[in-house]
Amino acid sequence: MKKNENVTIGFARLSDCASLAIAQERGLFDKYGLTVSLKRYKSWAAMRDGLASGVIDAANMLAPMVVASAAGIGPYPDLFTTACCTNQNGNAITVSASLFQNIQSISPETALRRPLSAHGLKHVVDVRRATGQPKLVFAHVYHYSMHAYLLRYWLASAGIDPDRDVELVVVPPSQMVDSLRSGLIDGYCVGEPWNNAAVLAGLGRTLITSAEIWSGHVEKVLAVRTEWAKDCSEVHLSIIKAILEAAAWIDHPQNRLTAAEVIASADYVDAPLDEIVSSLTGKNRQTGGNLRVDMPDFNVFHRYAANFPWQSQAKWILSQMVRWGQLDTKTNFNEVARAAFQPDIYRQAALELDISSPTIDNKIEGNYSHAWLLEEATSPIAMGCNQFIDGKLFNPDKIQEYLNTFPQVDPVTSSK
Amino acid sequence: MHLLRTLPNYGLKLTSHFKQIENVTSKGSQQVSTPAAPLRVLLIDNNPERAQLVEEGLAEAAIVQTKSQVHGTELLNLIAANQPDVIIVDCNSPGRDSIESLRTVAQNNPKPIVMFVEEENPTGFQQAIEAGVSAYVVDGLTPKRVKPVIDVAIARFKVMNDLRSELKKTKDDLAARKVIEKAKGILMDKRGMTEEEAFIAMRTMSQERGIPLRDIAETVISVMSLLNE
Repeated sequence: MKKNENVTIGFARLSDCASLAIAQERGLFDKYGLTVSLKRYKSWAAMRDGLASGVIDAANMLAPMVVASAAGIGPYPDLFTTACCTNQNGNAITVSASLFQNIQSISPETALRRPLSAHGLKHVVDVRRATGQPKLVFAHVYHYSMHAYLLRYWLASAGIDPDRDVELVVVPPSQMVDSLRSGLIDGYCVGEPWNNAAVLAGLGRTLITSAEIWSGHVEKVLAVRTEWAKDCSEVHLSIIKAILEAAAWIDHPQNRLTAAEVIASADYVDAPLDEIVSSLTGKNRQTGGNLRVDMPDFNVFHRYAANFPWQSQAKWILSQMVRWGQLDTKTNFNEVARAAFQPDIYRQAALELDISSPTIDNKIEGNYSHAWLLEEATSPIAMGCNQFIDGKLFNPDKIQEYLNTFPQVDPVTSSK
Repeated sequence: MHLLRTLPNYGLKLTSHFKQIENVTSKGSQQVSTPAAPLRVLLIDNNPERAQLVEEGLAEAAIVQTKSQVHGTELLNLIAANQPDVIIVDCNSPGRDSIESLRTVAQNNPKPIVMFVEEENPTGFQQAIEAGVSAYVVDGLTPKRVKPVIDVAIARFKVMNDLRSELKKTKDDLAARKVIEKAKGILMDKRGMTEEEAFIAMRTMSQERGIPLRDIAETVISVMSLLNE
């Protein structure tokens, strides 16, 4: 019998480690000839260094960290790539209970609509400025993260300049609730269970989930070193196959509760099940400040071709890097997106598992307010809704035109 | 934009930005002889013994401020208030993500901070990561000035790692010896072996099967207790 390949994969204490956890606990890595050790990280920077230096072979990493590397920004230019997204959606914006009260009293009408726009918050920001109060402080988890870009998107869609009207800081996910409790921050954008934990403790209210800002957005990806993906292509394919099978299992509604129980355990998220459960089942989720709703797509692991690395999604991330001054406008978007997200490797893995995969690399993002059928696939794929809160469309071939639709603000950067 | 260099193993990339600074400083260092003010180092480490070790090592070369258990906004406020030239932080500290945000968003912090990547000796960066040290320096600071400080930090982190692994080995050895003694005792008691015979029996089995002696002893203990019941 062929000996298993030893592989180490990094992850963070977040609900979206579910595919890795389930692949491990259900023996799927072993099924595809792998002996996997999972290594938990407390810091994205540490995970990135671990992957760069070869301490780990792969990581469940923030999609924009891979895109940043491919775009040549950060300490490891051109080092990382991915061929498999591990989940869509899954983040939310939560504010302190007192800030929510403030929004409600200043702007009661905005607090009633869902998805909740940031216009109510804009009123609060304006009043604070007029009365000489300090800026509100919002946290996200890393400067190259969907959390940063979606928080900025939501704020800016209501006319709040995220660099001037509020203060943005980076706080590790597991420190968010404590920071909110001690009043160091007024709100944050983070993955679960760190929104729900604040809600259950009565400290905060979730205003909006990331699926309501951009439904169907890529969140984490299986990041690997580009060289490693070439040298160890078989092992890479095996990891992807195990993750695809685990993700498909998790996306059966009847398995979601079991998945929640697995990731709540000490080896994974190490948090109470009641804080975790709604991020997996999507049942009775708090959003819109006051509402309790069922959101089955709060976290999507497999359906809607969720694991496919869309070039158009990598390019949207690049567009936001340009929008906020992290990246030069002269970037070759097509080239960087191809280096960051490699759909052909995904297709190979999907083919071996007889899973249908898209035959196109790009799509118009934001074009679907309802379920739809993707015909350009090896067999048609049922897709979920894909829209932005402001109704804009992202055409991956017209990035500059897209950027021109946003009010022009001088980005605040450290560049001299 | 600040582009830093990658690890040497994956293709070294110098950015124009960093190159520029290097050129300026290599010329400048010839002419300027007045010693610069000591570097201000912020050391963030949740391990108090290691922090003390590093702090002592740096005392002559720098002004060191040590903090533990500081995260997020508190950490960012601390950096804004103290304006350190160098931040030395445990590789696995969650505070690193906050520090790295100071690279791109600098409106509250006039000095953008970049991850330290060693210049002349590229394996140094790898060594730092292996020792568990990460360092951030104020962008534009001469690598020549920063290097000695970071070398000391790496060396002291390594000392601590060695002490720890030595301690662990000693503890493991002690635990193994206890188990082996107990297994010998059982064999002598139940099988009428001499101490030497018991030891040789277990050692032979260990060598033949390629299993550590401690594991053999543990098996003896559990099998014997099973048979007794």
